[in-house]
Amino acid sequence: MTNNRAINLITNKDSYSVQFNAMASPCEVIVQTNDKTLALKLGNIITKEVWRIEDKFSRYNQHSLCSLINNNAGQAVAIDEETFQLLTFADHCYQLSEGLFDISSGVLRKAWSFQGSNNQHSTFPSSAKVSKSLLQVGWYKIHFDQQTITLLNGMEIDFGGIGKEYAVDRSIILAKQLTDQPVLVNLGGDLAVSGPRHNNQTWQVAIENPDVDSQVNTDVNSDLNSDVNPDVNNNADMIVALKSGALATSGDAKRFLIKDGIRYGHILNAKTGWPIDKAPRSITVVAPQCIQAGILATLALLQGSNAEHFLTEQEIKFWSRR
Amino acid sequence: MKKITEKSNIKAVLTIAAATLLGTNSLAHAESNTFEAEPDEWKFDTAVLFYSETDRVSAGEAIFNAQKTFDTEEVLNLKLTIDTLTGASANGAVAQPTVQTFTRPSGNGQYQITAGETPLDDTFKDTRVQLNAQWTQPIAPDYTVSGGLHLSKEYDYLSLGINGNIAIDFDRKNSTFSAGFSYFQDTFSPEGGLPKAFSSMLVGDSDASNWDDDFQTTRIGSDDDKTTVDILLGFTQVINRRMLMQFNYSYSTVDGYLTDPFKVLSVVNNNGEAQDYLYESRPDSRVKQSVFAQSLYHFDTTVLDVSYRYMWDDWKIKSHTIDSRFRIPLGDSFGKESYLQPHFRFYQQSAADFYQPFLVDNEAMPAFASADYRIGEMTAYTIGLKYGMLVNNGHELSFRIEYYSQKPTDAGVEEIGVLKSVDLYPSVDAVIAQVTYSF
Repeated sequence: MTNNRAINLITNKDSYSVQFNAMASPCEVIVQTNDKTLALKLGNIITKEVWRIEDKFSRYNQHSLCSLINNNAGQAVAIDEETFQLLTFADHCYQLSEGLFDISSGVLRKAWSFQGSNNQHSTFPSSAKVSKSLLQVGWYKIHFDQQTITLLNGMEIDFGGIGKEYAVDRSIILAKQLTDQPVLVNLGGDLAVSGPRHNNQTWQVAIENPDVDSQVNTDVNSDLNSDVNPDVNNNADMIVALKSGALATSGDAKRFLIKDGIRYGHILNAKTGWPIDKAPRSITVVAPQCIQAGILATLALLQGSNAEHFLTEQEIKFWSRR
Repeated sequence: MKKITEKSNIKAVLTIAAATLLGTNSLAHAESNTFEAEPDEWKFDTAVLFYSETDRVSAGEAIFNAQKTFDTEEVLNLKLTIDTLTGASANGAVAQPTVQTFTRPSGNGQYQITAGETPLDDTFKDTRVQLNAQWTQPIAPDYTVSGGLHLSKEYDYLSLGINGNIAIDFDRKNSTFSAGFSYFQDTFSPEGGLPKAFSSMLVGDSDASNWDDDFQTTRIGSDDDKTTVDILLGFTQVINRRMLMQFNYSYSTVDGYLTDPFKVLSVVNNNGEAQDYLYESRPDSRVKQSVFAQSLYHFDTTVLDVSYRYMWDDWKIKSHTIDSRFRIPLGDSFGKESYLQPHFRFYQQSAADFYQPFLVDNEAMPAFASADYRIGEMTAYTIGLKYGMLVNNGHELSFRIEYYSQKPTDAGVEEIGVLKSVDLYPSVDAVIAQVTYSF
C-alpha cells in the first residue's frame, strides 16, 4: 500500500488543489488561497493523516492493526484509544441497524464475488456456502473494551464502511487547525468542507452518474449555482452546493450479479448473508460530518426498497439512484 | 425486510457518536446541534407557566425566545418574559389566637387576619416584563465569547444588567473552561416608599387627616438601589462517549438595599401576644459563594441528569440542592418521538444568622432581624413530570407538571404563651404547570 504515495499540486485560478491516491481512490484537497506554501503544508499534513489511517485500518495491508486483529482471531489484541473509538462507533451503527450493518460481515465476500455483469452465473454461490460463511459473521460475538479486542476463530473485521469517511473528518479537523482558508477534502467521493468559500460562496460538487467510470468530481471554478441540478436524467451529473458539512455516497452500480434476470447488488445483509433486495444503486447523503453521511447512506441502502422512505423520515437531504 | 426501529433516534445517536469519535463537539453541543439547525434560520420557543401556592401566590409566566444562528457561527438570542403575580404572601408576623390588623405596605388601608391564621398580605400583585439579549461568537479556533444585556421592569422595580463570558475549548474540545461576569443595578421604589428599619407599623384610621404625615415618619425615602456583581468559573469535561461532567464556582457580591420592605416582625409580650409590628432590617451587603457539579449520562436511549449545588454566604445561610432528571424516550407510541421526564429536586437550607420568627418585648434589639421564612431553616422538595412530543413540522410540544413542598424547620426559639397554640412555621405547597412549544 505504499506504492504511488506522491502528491501533485495543481494551481487553479484562486485555489490550489493537492491530488494524491489513497484507499484505492483518487483523492483531492482544495484550499482557496494564493499562498502556495500553505497549500503544500496543508497537503502534506492531510496526506500524512489519510495514509496513516489507511496503514492502520486497511484490511488489505498485512501490516495494519486491522490485519493484526484478524490474523489473531481467537486471542485478545491490544488496541489504542482511536481504535476503541472507531469500534464504539461501529457498535453504535450495529445497534442502530439491528445488526444489518456489521463490520464483521466482510467474510461473506468469500462466498460472493461481485465482478459486474460478466460470468455472473459462475460466481453465484450455493445456499450452503453462504450459510457456512455466515457462521463467521456476528458483531455480537466480538468482545472489545478500551484495551483489547477479541475475535472468535475465523472471524474478520474491516473498517471499509467507516474508515474513509473518518479520514475525511479527521482531515477537516487538521485543516481547520492549520488555516482559516476554505478547504475541501475529497477522498474518492466522500468529502467534506471546512466552511463556505470566500465571500460566503458555496462549493459546487458534481456527483457523477455511477454508470460512468468515475465517482465524484469537485469543480471549484464551476459557475453553476443551483442547489441541485433538478434533472431526472440518470445519465447527467448532479451538482450539489455545499457551504458546510459533508457528503458521502454509498453503493456502487458496477458491482452486481444477475441471476434469472434479477439484479443482485453488492450490499449484503449481515444477518442472512444474501444481498439486500431492491436496494438503490447508490445513495448520497449530506450531514454535518462525513462519517454520519456515510453511515446514513449505508444504513439506508440496507433498508432495500424502503431506503428513500427511511431517509425521508430522518429528514435528511439525500439523492438516490436506482 | 426488518425495518430499523426507533427511527427518530438514529440521527441524534449518530450525531453524538460521531462527535465523540471525532472529539469535535461537547456532548451538550452535539445534542442541541441537530441537523435541522441550519444557519440563517430563526428558532422560536414559547412557554406558558403557571405557579400556584395553596392559599397564597399564583404566578403566570409567558416566555418567548428567538434564536438566530448565522453562517459564521454567531448566535443571537432574544428572550422576552412576562410574569404576573397575584395573591397573598406571608408578611412575617406570627399567627395569634386573636384577630390581627395590619396596614398595607402602601399605607392605603388595612387588612385583617383571622385568629390562628398565618398573616398573609393579599395585596400582592405585580407584572414583570423582562428582556434579555445575548450575542455569542467564536473569536478564534477554540475561543468563544458572549455578551448580553438584561432589562427587567416591574411596577416598583427596575433591574438593568450586563454580562460577558469567554469559553475556551481544549483537549480536542473534550474540555471547556469558561469564565463569566455579570453586573446588575436594581432600583426598588415600592408604593408608599421604603420603611425605616425597626420602625413600628402604623395601624389606625388611614382616612384621618394626620395619617399621611404619621405614615411618612416610618419611611426613609421613595427608592433605593442595590448592585450585584457575579463571577462564574466553569469547567466542562467529556468523560467518555456517554458521560459529560460540569463544575462551576460562583462568587456573588450584593451591595445596597437588601431588606424586604413588605416584611415585618411581631413583637410579643411574655405571654406571646403581639404588641407591635416592626419593619424588618437586613445588612446592606451579602457575599454568596457556591460550587456546583453536574453529570449527564447517556444510557442506550435514556439520559440521566444529576446535579448538586452547595451555597454559602456571610449571612450564614448554607444550602444544599440536589436536582435530577431522567429522560425516557417513548418512541412513536405516545405521540411522535415522545418522551417522559421525571424530575426530582431536594433543597435544604440553614437560617440566616439574623433570622428570628418574632421579637420579645423589652429584650435587647439585635442589629438586624427578619422573620422572612425564605431565609429561615427549611427543607423543600419538588417532584414533577414532563411529557414532550413532536407535532407537525417537527415542532416540539411539551407539558410539565410539578408539585413543590416547602417545610420550615422549628428555629428552636422558645414558644411563649399563646404562641404555643399557633403554627409558627407554616409549610408552603405549590403546583407548577408549564406548556412549551418550540418552532
